[in-house]
Amino acid sequence: MAAPMAPSMVPKEEEPSAVDLANNEAGTPADALYDKCAQRSQGTVFFQRDLSNMQVAETMAELTMLLQELCDRHLMKLMTFEGEPCWKLRSRAEADKLRRLTPDERLLYHHIDQVQAEGIWSKALRARTNVTQQVLTKCLKSLESKDLVQSVMSVKFPNRKMYLLKHLRPSEDIAGGPWQSEGDFDTALIETISGIVAQHIENETCIKVPGNWNDYERPDRTADMAQKKAQVQGIRDIEDAPAVKPYHQPRDPNSSKIVHKNNPQYPTSASVAEWLNSKEILRGKTVREDDMEQLLEMMVLDGRLEKISGTNYRTVLTAIDTKVYNGFVDAPCGNCPVFDLCGDEGEISARTCVYFGQWLETQSEEV
Amino acid sequence: MSYTQRETPVLAELCTFLVEDVYGELAARVYSVLARHGRQTLAAVARASYLNGRQIKYGLVILLQQHLVFHSGNDSQPTYYEIDWLNSYALVRLGKVTKLVEDRFGRKAANVMTNLLRLGHTRIADLKEAYFPTETDSDDDSDDGTVNGAGMKRKRGGGNEPNGSAKTNGVVNGDDVKPVVSGDHAHSGTMNGGPVEQSEQEHAEEDDGEIASVDELYEIIERLIQRGWVRTMTESQYLSPGDMHDMLQQETIDQDLGGQQPTGTKDKAVCHKNTLERKRNMRDKWLNVPRFSRRGKPDQDYSNPTKRVKINGANGYSSAGAASPEDKLVIRVNPEKIAVAMRTEQLVQLVEQRLGHVTAHIYQTMLRMLEANTARCYEEYPEPPTAGDEGGDNQIDPKNLVTARDVAKKISRDLDICEGLDPNAIVQITRKGHVRSANILSQPTDPSTLSMDEKTRIIDKHIQLLSEDPTHFVTWHSRAGFSQWHIEFEEIAKQLIQTEIENTISARKGTLGVKLIRALRKKGKLDERATCNAMMMSANDLRGIVNDLTVQGLVQTQEVPKVERREAKHSLHLIWYDRQRAREKLLHDTYKGMVRILQRIQFEREKVQPLLSKAERSDVVGNEEKWLSKGELDALRKWKEVQEKLSLQLFREDDLVATLRDFHGPLVSV
Repeated sequence: MAAPMAPSMVPKEEEPSAVDLANNEAGTPADALYDKCAQRSQGTVFFQRDLSNMQVAETMAELTMLLQELCDRHLMKLMTFEGEPCWKLRSRAEADKLRRLTPDERLLYHHIDQVQAEGIWSKALRARTNVTQQVLTKCLKSLESKDLVQSVMSVKFPNRKMYLLKHLRPSEDIAGGPWQSEGDFDTALIETISGIVAQHIENETCIKVPGNWNDYERPDRTADMAQKKAQVQGIRDIEDAPAVKPYHQPRDPNSSKIVHKNNPQYPTSASVAEWLNSKEILRGKTVREDDMEQLLEMMVLDGRLEKISGTNYRTVLTAIDTKVYNGFVDAPCGNCPVFDLCGDEGEISARTCVYFGQWLETQSEEV
Repeated sequence: MSYTQRETPVLAELCTFLVEDVYGELAARVYSVLARHGRQTLAAVARASYLNGRQIKYGLVILLQQHLVFHSGNDSQPTYYEIDWLNSYALVRLGKVTKLVEDRFGRKAANVMTNLLRLGHTRIADLKEAYFPTETDSDDDSDDGTVNGAGMKRKRGGGNEPNGSAKTNGVVNGDDVKPVVSGDHAHSGTMNGGPVEQSEQEHAEEDDGEIASVDELYEIIERLIQRGWVRTMTESQYLSPGDMHDMLQQETIDQDLGGQQPTGTKDKAVCHKNTLERKRNMRDKWLNVPRFSRRGKPDQDYSNPTKRVKINGANGYSSAGAASPEDKLVIRVNPEKIAVAMRTEQLVQLVEQRLGHVTAHIYQTMLRMLEANTARCYEEYPEPPTAGDEGGDNQIDPKNLVTARDVAKKISRDLDICEGLDPNAIVQITRKGHVRSANILSQPTDPSTLSMDEKTRIIDKHIQLLSEDPTHFVTWHSRAGFSQWHIEFEEIAKQLIQTEIENTISARKGTLGVKLIRALRKKGKLDERATCNAMMMSANDLRGIVNDLTVQGLVQTQEVPKVERREAKHSLHLIWYDRQRAREKLLHDTYKGMVRILQRIQFEREKVQPLLSKAERSDVVGNEEKWLSKGELDALRKWKEVQEKLSLQLFREDDLVATLRDFHGPLVSV
């Protein structure tokens, strides 16, 4: 691709006349050249030999003149590619808008055009163009109102307004990766994708085992022992004989549990990114390894994944479904909103505590 | 406001409650004076309390007997008294200790342990006397135990007791000191340990808690000492950490530095290093196993060759009544070992939650094998790091290694070791059948029929699960014994602390709070935007949580001004998470929660006090149905329920305290 370079800025004093010129001279050789170029696919970059091959201009001097004219009328944009000059077409409507700009506006427009999708910070713009703050603000406003540029809040620097051309999509640097939209994290998207990714990683690293996977005959030794002892003693001692059989996992084939796979291939951010891109779940967007790493790291923080040695991830499994906290927070004090106000005596104390009352189902002292 | 009028610090309050609960009002009154005023002489205690000298002395004797109070050495005058906070707090663990010992050594040992806990430090002869009273002495012995006997020397004590003047045993205020000889288990059903493993117990035979002979008692005591659960009592154990430091530093200066106060940095470093070494030596000496005269077969597996004196097989059994040379030995429970055992229990619980009960059981077996060689959870007096000496001490003591084969030998046959593993792994090992599409074995495997080799390999799979967990419960060491592992307790203890902090936050603020803490822990100090990026959330959803956690003291904030005028708008607002601070805050809150529970128990008891005194009347006890109305019985049952619930919660909070306080020294930075 041709890198957009600064066209040699020519002072455009004769701009109004140029506009008149363009209006009057429809069907001139310059227009013919423009039309020929417009037949090519959009966004084509023309080099000098391409243009001369179109056989509109007789001589090289004439071609240069025609191009100069087109440039003056903003129908063409001069660029350089590896030191060689080249041109790109603008639509007539756009050129029309450009023609109506004031010189200051045009100057700003060119600088904004240069940075393309990366955007440029208003302060940097001012530093480059040397215009006063008032002029800058005024011009940028008018450019925005003319639908030529847009302003985007940078993700990296949230208080910076970045300017770029209207038709461009802001780059990831300023608009954020696939997880962000309009500068903010797209919570719904992240939720969905992380669910899908979690399922994928679970399939990769875990295995679902039904309750009856190892269905051998289970001899009940403990019960035998207790029985024998009861026979000998005549009566069973409550202390040492198990009144109930020791608990065994139920062998219900429908109840299954998930265990870690033996020798799994632990996925990395690269492999998950590749998988996700191949599934084409994110329409129109591809996920880079960095983006995926960000998502996976977030899921680790979330407690859905755990990191195994450096770059590998796996699913977090818990063997017990019920969530156990600790002794402190399971008591009323651990979650008490007035814990810091609670004293040995006074209105808020253990004696008058309503939470203890609820928890123990007893009466607390009335204050 | 004067110092004495300040609000009592929470731990002091908690410990005073515990002392009052266990040893009665007199001891608690003296204790609370020390708790409020700090290190005091006897005269100062008398000034600060309304008690007379006699009462204070009685109170102090109880406290000293139970090691709740340090005192400065006898040679320096006057003697200062100072509270031993750790031991005072340990009162809440009395029941737990019994349970831990019972799981490991059986009921008889638990019984001995209970008595040791009740009596404080004890001469072995007295313990023997309690179990097997000689006819002439028995009255004297048991009656002396109450308050009136305080401070008086036992007749049989001789002049040769290693400990000081006023510290004879047998003084428990108002409590019946006569040891429970059988049946009575101090631990109620409230302990939350795992199932009692018959196979784990040392005694395979029927174990009903009745100690049959003196020899058996001695054997139990000796085993407890060997395993480090009980240690011999020496004078130096009464020195407070400060006194001990002064004494040993002085000794270092006298011996190593020629009596010169260290001035240069080099001298100071030497002094510091040698003082620490002396502290370690002194502490290790406490654990030395004394020579027992009667011995069965020598039991070398559990003796610790470097630290403990090896015991040679000596002569056979002497008759039960005769005095043995070790009778004069004074022994007490070793509190450091209790923490080690509690750590084992908690790790096992954590593994059970993460990886299931079979893996947890295997881990328990590994941990208990190591327990015998683990004297304490962490080194309190670590060797100061010397420059340029990195990587030299990577050598792991072979006593701290455990192999899969060892576990396979020890593991109970009733345990279905195939559970909790990938069926493919089982097939790979047994080479029988295959795994069908629904992950069902085509040829079921009965784990009790497996060969030792197969068993080892299956257990190795479980251990691999342990090592792969992000907590890294075990770490691979070598291929010896199929696979040899060691356990990095340091790191795991940190992880345990982190887990508890996360649990707390999770209960209060849900997963979002935990996520925030984890993000901060991983990334360090963050401003709002960076926090949002790490958590992939918008700032609005986050602010409330950040605020709440900051108020609770779990998240720290910092403001860095960017311009000279420190405008809020132009400042960086950072938040970060400091594990040590969160740990201290949580510990403090937990202490406070425990105080509240004790206060609530007291309040609930007050409410039913008239009924309780009625129920405790000697004619009513045993005949409750006859003398109490239905309403009264219901109220009684309700009170018991409430008490049990509150006590259970208290013990669980104690577990949390153990994790936060006992398993790891102060954490440095994040």
